[in-house]
Amino acid sequence: MALTGRAGLVAAIGIVVVLVAPRPGAALAGVCLLLAAGIVVDLVFAGPVRPLRFHRSGDTLVRLGQRATVELVVENPSGRRVRGLLRDAWQPSAGAHPRVAELNVPAGERRRITLTLTPTRRGDRTSTAVTVRSVGPLGLAARQGNHRAPWTVRVLPPFLSRKHLPSRLARLRELDGRHPALVRGQGTEFDSLREYVVGDDVRSIDWRATARRNDVVVRTWRPERDRRVLIVLDTGRTSAGRVGAAPIQLAGAEANGGGLLVRPDPRPAPGWPRLDWSMDAALLLAALAARAGDQVDFLAYDRAVRAWVGGASRTELLSSMVNAMAPIEAELIEADAQGMVAAVLSRAKRRCLVVLLTDLNPAAMDEGLMPVLPQLSARHLVLVAGVSDPSVAAMAGRRATAEEVYDAAAAEQAQLGRRRITARLRRHGVEVVDAPPEDIAPALADAYLALKAAGRL
Amino acid sequence: MSVLARPGGGAGESFSTSPTARSAWRSSRMIVLLGVIVVLIAVLGVLLGSGGKPARALDPADTSLVGARALAELLRDRGVTVERVDSVQAAAAKSAAGDRLLLVTDTAYLDTDGLAAIPGDRLVVGDFFGIEALAGEVDIEPGARTRSREPECGLPAARAAGSAYMGGLALTGPPGATGCYPAGDGHALVTYRTETGVVTAVGDGSFMTNQRLAEDGNAALALNLIGTGRPVTWLVRPQTPPAADLPGESGRSMYELMPGSIRWAVYMAIVALAVTAFWRGRRLGPVVAERLPVIVRASETVEGRGRLYRARRARERAADALRAGTIDRLTPRLGLGPGAGRHEVVAALAARTGQESQSVDAALYGPPPADDGGLVALAGHLDFMERQISEL
Repeated sequence: MALTGRAGLVAAIGIVVVLVAPRPGAALAGVCLLLAAGIVVDLVFAGPVRPLRFHRSGDTLVRLGQRATVELVVENPSGRRVRGLLRDAWQPSAGAHPRVAELNVPAGERRRITLTLTPTRRGDRTSTAVTVRSVGPLGLAARQGNHRAPWTVRVLPPFLSRKHLPSRLARLRELDGRHPALVRGQGTEFDSLREYVVGDDVRSIDWRATARRNDVVVRTWRPERDRRVLIVLDTGRTSAGRVGAAPIQLAGAEANGGGLLVRPDPRPAPGWPRLDWSMDAALLLAALAARAGDQVDFLAYDRAVRAWVGGASRTELLSSMVNAMAPIEAELIEADAQGMVAAVLSRAKRRCLVVLLTDLNPAAMDEGLMPVLPQLSARHLVLVAGVSDPSVAAMAGRRATAEEVYDAAAAEQAQLGRRRITARLRRHGVEVVDAPPEDIAPALADAYLALKAAGRL
Repeated sequence: MSVLARPGGGAGESFSTSPTARSAWRSSRMIVLLGVIVVLIAVLGVLLGSGGKPARALDPADTSLVGARALAELLRDRGVTVERVDSVQAAAAKSAAGDRLLLVTDTAYLDTDGLAAIPGDRLVVGDFFGIEALAGEVDIEPGARTRSREPECGLPAARAAGSAYMGGLALTGPPGATGCYPAGDGHALVTYRTETGVVTAVGDGSFMTNQRLAEDGNAALALNLIGTGRPVTWLVRPQTPPAADLPGESGRSMYELMPGSIRWAVYMAIVALAVTAFWRGRRLGPVVAERLPVIVRASETVEGRGRLYRARRARERAADALRAGTIDRLTPRLGLGPGAGRHEVVAALAARTGQESQSVDAALYGPPPADDGGLVALAGHLDFMERQISEL
């Protein structure tokens, strides 16, 4: 049960009544009895909550930053009208609106309530309960009850870097030969012979074939196809660090605005975790590689396999990957590089391009990846991509006061360590992409295209 | 196919999760049972108990440990009339009838001015404000510990009684006063004569209580002090503070001045408050908890290192880091390999920037700066050289 503001108002008016009444004791008893009687009447005649039935429909998938609509149909099989409030209790980061809806379902009918979800976090958002408060005819008291009407909306990574996809696909077409400008060179495979048209590179004329036929014939080339790309996402502690400026504000970020007792943080709001930037880059790479005709697999690993997408067809690769990525969160544990390498080796039997999305953190690398990297690079081509922190670069540039110079020295130290680990990786024959968060996705795509053009896959 | 591609949604039948009356009773019956048992025990305890009267210290009608019924009975056995009064008027009326001893143990709620005007001998026991008002010539120093003390004086009543449980206040009487039971800087018992009678002040009344009366010479002292043959007016604290005794215009309290309906209105206001509290306090559905990811800035370790440098004034390390960064960036631009030595770097840089090779050497490989100003100057110099090279 629940009381309404009207019951409080009646009780407050009762104070005045008791004050002016000639017999205050009797007036007090009268007002209290009246109020109690009204509450009992309301509780008895309010529409029953328990027999209500709920049916849901609507979106089950939504990209982060977009809105989803979920519909809730309330069916009232009882003989009395249910009038009052309804709350569909979603997790806070689901961003459900309205929080509380007005409800008025006549007896035996059903009504539809539409909720808009604006999620502020990846993962599965669920509704834990539906609460209905059914107010009685006098509006003094209400029956209240909870129902369970489960519904889950999976919030997918936003894949913001897809804006870079058209330009990279154009570059891919250039490589492919479908573009007017033909590309020649080592690393491209012989495709077919065709007649010469004006504008073709004279170097590609196949003189032997020309001699056999009555026409000038050129060779066409196409980039190598049907190679394998394995994208490995490190979900260990280094992927939890937030860098850059968040393109979509995430849940919890507003907490640094301070409150009554908490001093507001003077620093800018923390951006996205490295994990999310890495996912963005992985999705662009996967989309590009799938179009280029390569087989893409995806592995997320820290101390155990968090997600694995293998053998997906080209058309369903991206949807499988975003589905697998959605619930992954950075784990606050040190990643197990040895286990990761073992997991990669057991899954990739043939030579492939292993793209390792991690952080180029010298300490973590020295302890983890460096000792086991030769096992991996002996059989596969390894590309390590790390998201750098633009705020560290900014710190290194500020040198006006002594305090800033100390900070700049610390930033220099960090950057130096990063450059050294990059150099060491390159000496091992490992490709390295180190870019700030906004540029990591196009930089990784460019590195892939360069490897493809060079025929190193 | 993918392992974790679990579809969203999750349709299915809705069902009520609110407890029914039966399940609510089933889940809470143990608690209700325990509550009923506790209430029953409490009620029985009150009903079978001592009647629940609060103890009244040094009251001749009180039988508790702090009461003084035993002393009153002893006095009556010896033929002393003990009359218990609880107002100044009653005490004044009694003393008007004849020569009496006024025994005062508590002056809270009593008009001390009116009390001081009553003539005759008086005995003030253990009441700071009472002694101040009724034995005005006595200096009071609080803080003396109450314990068994020797009389060490010539007062016959005290000397005959011997050691007694005295202390509490250290009293210093006017010239000519007799002080017994030394305590602190004064005495626990002081007696002196005024125009109206003999005034005796005692720092602590514990020796008269039912609990202590049998110890030491407590009973003897009390009987000697009180039982001089005259009737005793024993003034105790009134049960409820009489409105007439309170200082005021017409002796009426605030409650008497209020209209009678106010009290009922206050009750109604309490009801209204409870209703409003229930209205506002009832939550619409459960609190939904969510496990949020941590928010940790990636730059925090670097910022922490910077603060450590700052806190320790680690100029040497800071300068080393800045120089190493500059050299690392400049060597490829100067066309040198990664393993280039000090002399090669300095020579190449001096040639390209046109600076003295000594100053370049001092900037890149010199001793650490002596103060913060030097560090800032070094950072500026390194920046300047880098800018020169990049502008070339």
